Amino acid sequence: MKSREQEYKEIFIAEALEYYDALNRLISELEKKPQDDQVLAEIFRMLHNLKANAKAIGYLQISDVSHKLETAFGLIRNKELSFSDEVVGVLFDGIDLLGELIKGIDSERQVEIDPVLIRNLDIIVDSLSDSTVELAKVQKFSTSRNLTLSDLIYIQVKKLDHLMNLVGELIIDRDRILSLSRELDNDELKTVSSHLYRITEDLEYSVMDARLVSIGTLFNKFPRVVRDISTSEKKEINLELTGQDIQIDRNILQIITDSLLHLVRNAITHGIEKPEQRAKVGKPKVGSLQLSARSDRESVIITLADDGRGIDVGKVKKAAVERHMIAGEVADGLPDSEVYSFLFEPGFSLAKEVTEYSGRGVGLDVVKNAIDSIGGRIRIESEKGKGTSFILQLPTSIAVKGALLFEIDSIFYAIPLIHTDSVVALDKDELHEVGDVLVADIKGETVTVVYLDELLNVEESQMRLGDKTRLKGQVQNIIIVSYNNRKLGLIVDKLYRQQDIVVKPLSKPLDSIDLYGGVTLLGTGKVCLVLDVPAITRYFVNRR
Amino acid sequence: MKEKTNKKEGQPTTGVVESGPDNAAALANQKLAKAEAVKEEMIHLIVFKLGAEEYGIKIEQVKEVTVTPNVTRMPRTPDFIKGVANIRGDIIAIMNLEERFGIRPVPLADDLNPRITYTLVIEAKEYSIGVIVREVPQSLNLSMTKIDKAPSFLQDININENYIEGIAKVNNRLIIVLDMYKILTQDEIRELKIN
Repeated sequence: MKSREQEYKEIFIAEALEYYDALNRLISELEKKPQDDQVLAEIFRMLHNLKANAKAIGYLQISDVSHKLETAFGLIRNKELSFSDEVVGVLFDGIDLLGELIKGIDSERQVEIDPVLIRNLDIIVDSLSDSTVELAKVQKFSTSRNLTLSDLIYIQVKKLDHLMNLVGELIIDRDRILSLSRELDNDELKTVSSHLYRITEDLEYSVMDARLVSIGTLFNKFPRVVRDISTSEKKEINLELTGQDIQIDRNILQIITDSLLHLVRNAITHGIEKPEQRAKVGKPKVGSLQLSARSDRESVIITLADDGRGIDVGKVKKAAVERHMIAGEVADGLPDSEVYSFLFEPGFSLAKEVTEYSGRGVGLDVVKNAIDSIGGRIRIESEKGKGTSFILQLPTSIAVKGALLFEIDSIFYAIPLIHTDSVVALDKDELHEVGDVLVADIKGETVTVVYLDELLNVEESQMRLGDKTRLKGQVQNIIIVSYNNRKLGLIVDKLYRQQDIVVKPLSKPLDSIDLYGGVTLLGTGKVCLVLDVPAITRYFVNRR
Repeated sequence: MKEKTNKKEGQPTTGVVESGPDNAAALANQKLAKAEAVKEEMIHLIVFKLGAEEYGIKIEQVKEVTVTPNVTRMPRTPDFIKGVANIRGDIIAIMNLEERFGIRPVPLADDLNPRITYTLVIEAKEYSIGVIVREVPQSLNLSMTKIDKAPSFLQDININENYIEGIAKVNNRLIIVLDMYKILTQDEIRELKIN
């Protein structure tokens, strides 16, 4: 495993080289159309980012040169410096120097900065297009260019998801082979299958590793968010971030983004008091908000702690009793941790006023649902007058599967996309009763079609899978699934979207029912059953 | 309405859903009973009705009592499995003991809302399950001596009812004490499998 610094360095170099390539392209474009503001703005933005990134990681030469170039382009943009041939030459030289410096990071050779070039840059920046000062000739240090390609590639998360699904399938088959090899008691087969076991395990780990991103990618968005909300709330807040380099699955981070934003808003609008109130109770005028992440074995713990007014347990109890969620006498004896759990109930809010940022009726229940849906946990710690902490325990990695959601007899179901072939809508007349099943011609292929409502919900003795009169409505939505190269059309009542789901295994005693691969929680908190296509196919074949 | 029990805290007063004016008195009684109980061994039951009879489960086996949440039916499971529900992020099976034991349901009292039922979340050794009851369960503290551990009639019942732990008799009430850990035996689990 590479060290984190090494990884950061590689990412920086890859990004910087991309900027360098883009800058070369843009400046050539600018040379042809010196008046193009858009190109100028783009160059300006890139140099600015490059400067900031280089400074953050400690490459001061690069940030210095970028700064000088940025200033020069700033002047050009403000029409204080003309884009003359001489200036263009200096700028090209400057960008070349940047390229040299970036490439030099990873090589032993120390890049020497030509002092003449720096002087030239300083001259065009300082003299404000007053070209009385002569620009000196710069010794070109690279006449023969090397063309290099970056070591890093960008990849769509979708592709990684697909890879993850395939690995999941592979593991299922691997386990089957493993048990077969035991049954057959063939030594050679056993050796091969145990090797296969190790490789797939490694593969699974590598794919999971490729999906990890540092939590900083989310955390680093919060300083700005906190600034905006606290300004509008007229509060002063110091945000402290720790643990940005903790790694977590990118999809988990995606799912909790809104939740974390919600909690931060809450902390600022409801948690932390106004400066004058804080002064009164002897707290520092500036409120503190700490957002931290740490690893804990298989999970990542994210904590959001404020030093605000804390949760008033009495108020929560009162509100709970008023809403008939609990009897008054029972509420009195409840431990605080249980009282806080009321806050996660739908529609439970103590906020009196709706502000721009909080109290719009979206409550902590939404946060809870999101955390539940990825198999995480959330808990509150609070002390009145001292502050509140929200502690999120999240899995580092999840098996997120793309799935197709649908409804039969008002129950939500999902089928993993790995098993779905296509989706078609057919008129009832295009389905034919052949023997005791329904068949349809789908793209030239005769496919057996089964009405899922009939297969799942009609008493087994009454089941008639070949009876078209059992169908509801004229147009039928059919999901074509394939298993073992065998296609089967499943007629569903309502077809919903495609969605990424986290399949939770069924807990005992239900885990022995093989018709269901598991369950998943929808964003609404509703339970959705995940159908196991192999089992459904088997069940259908056995019924018939 | 929602209550939770917390057996770790061992607070009998938080153990049960109870409403109405009787509650305070009942709690006071419990406290009194508790004070007296120092010498003799006590048992704390959650009592609920199935059919016309009263049944009890030891409080240690009850994780929480809640108003039955949305239950998602699971086709092709035995009838007594009502489906699965999301209780605090855990997805657990919800079952109806009346159907499980073939107990004849009785009409509900007029003053009870037929649409609201309660779920006892039972914590078995390896998993949790939810048990639906129609009336608010009550909490009852009684001496161990009130429980007949091996009533002779048990031999008269032809099926193996080993989930009955005993019969409690208190103030003319007869309470059937169930051992929930035995309620889902291996046989039942096997029955859940299809094919």
